[in-house]
Amino acid sequence: MRLRDAARVIRSKNAGPTQVTIDLMFDDPKLYARALAAPSMNPAVIAQRYGVAEAEVIPYPAANAIKIVLPRRVIAGTPGDTDVYGAQQHRPMIDVEI
Amino acid sequence: MAPARQTSFARIIEKWQKEKGPLRIMSASGQLGYGIIEKAFRAGLERDLHLIGADMGSVDPGPYYLGSGKLATARRSTKRDLKMVLVGALSMKVPLVIGTAGTAGGDTHLDQTLEIIREIAREEGLTFRLATIRSEMPRDLIKKQARAGKVTSIGPIPELTDAEIDKAACIVGQAGTEAFVRAIDTLPDVIIAGRACDTGIYTCLPEKLGFPIGPALQMAKIIECASLACEGGGRDAMLGTLEGESFVLESMNPARRATPMSVAAHGLYEQADPLSVAEPEGVLYLEDSKFEAVDDRRCRVSGGRWVPTKQYSVKIEGATRVGARAIMVAGSADPVFIEKADEIAGLVEAQIRELVPPKPENPYTLYFRFYGLGVVGGQPVTQLPEEVGVMVEVIGEDEDEARAVAATAKQYLLHAPFPGRISTAGNLGFPFTPPELTAGDAYRFSVYHIMQVDALAPLFPVAVEEVASSK
Repeated sequence: MRLRDAARVIRSKNAGPTQVTIDLMFDDPKLYARALAAPSMNPAVIAQRYGVAEAEVIPYPAANAIKIVLPRRVIAGTPGDTDVYGAQQHRPMIDVEI
Repeated sequence: MAPARQTSFARIIEKWQKEKGPLRIMSASGQLGYGIIEKAFRAGLERDLHLIGADMGSVDPGPYYLGSGKLATARRSTKRDLKMVLVGALSMKVPLVIGTAGTAGGDTHLDQTLEIIREIAREEGLTFRLATIRSEMPRDLIKKQARAGKVTSIGPIPELTDAEIDKAACIVGQAGTEAFVRAIDTLPDVIIAGRACDTGIYTCLPEKLGFPIGPALQMAKIIECASLACEGGGRDAMLGTLEGESFVLESMNPARRATPMSVAAHGLYEQADPLSVAEPEGVLYLEDSKFEAVDDRRCRVSGGRWVPTKQYSVKIEGATRVGARAIMVAGSADPVFIEKADEIAGLVEAQIRELVPPKPENPYTLYFRFYGLGVVGGQPVTQLPEEVGVMVEVIGEDEDEARAVAATAKQYLLHAPFPGRISTAGNLGFPFTPPELTAGDAYRFSVYHIMQVDALAPLFPVAVEEVASSK
């Protein structure tokens, strides 16, 4: 099952200019649990997908949500950046299999 | 002699001490200057409020505003919003608190905001007592703390050196609840702060009146985004009713519903850690949060736990000029050009470097962006699109150099020969001329750190003035 078929929200945004955070929100607690348990949700796998050194994956059961935190490759707004707000960094997660 | 006029803070503090009970705090806007929705704001004014707050800035829009001293919002929109909250608050004798004045909260941003405030006062015949909080950080202190190992990077940003601190165009610190409480102690009608934690706007009155700070801070963290915590979001004013150990959220737009799920989910927004929030004076822990429906559009929240820290810390932000920016915008619908875009860019770049030689001591930088070919989202493109957007960005030493490089890029990209070319009259479509535009100075964030300090008050001085309607 692809993440886009399981999640209600797949979004990204800066958490300050040096980090970007991706939120995955699910209506169904079972799909939330399934995504959380998926090998594709392993921090090392996600870090590799985004080409960064490390990723953090934080379960947030209060909202059936998973938060991913990544270091930004370019600090927000520094020349060379292409997404100052970090609002379009969700794309590589959309088709991930869970 | 006429008795001294009672200010809004004096009135509200006296009123609350007589009546006790919950505090009704309204967030008018999470981004003042982009247009406050008037209907919801007016509805909120009828709710017997104890405080109206608005946040006016953020680090989100990038380093340009902090570095250049400019506002992200247009002056007329900024003035419209400031007038709405100022006239609204004064007419009801409710205190008004505004944080991160002028997008970035440096002294120039605060001063430009105050200039608009005084202009509104003159035009509307308003007289009031105004407290201001300044947030620019003393550089010698930052250097001292950095040398003592008391400055820590947040995320992947280099450690601070004396040279980096000296080079920065502007360095601000985020004022916390402490600074706002000192401003309340001057008993003003209005508080306007430079760079500030968005929470301090809403926690200062609860702190002053002795409310538990955990729930107050948790409420502040939610209402500072106005109605964004409602289902489907929203920019309408949000009312937080602080009951003590709990609070109730209600949007001032009756169509917006704050539900337990929407409010819980909001805890994720723009946060690296949804379960804790670091403030200058301590940490808010949210793992015990409870979200209960009051009815179908109001939500009661509790569980925010406050743990003060022994060591004060301030988040500091600084921007440094990197040069001047010029861009060139165009598009292409030519399949051969699209297929070979990166190769063509390499050829054109070599040609540009020959025609406009970079200075060895300070070479310009050049970026070719082919939108449609995987620029934005980091996903490899598997199928070539029918069209691509083309942008060339140049960072030069000054505007003249940046423009020269961008104009050369325009001409040579337009006419670049390449193997297999069929469209020999031109490779690009321009939406207008000139297609190369100068964009002023360019900046980078050079400071995004936590600085430990022994005392907060000296860093965020409070000043008071009587704003009079006459000139």
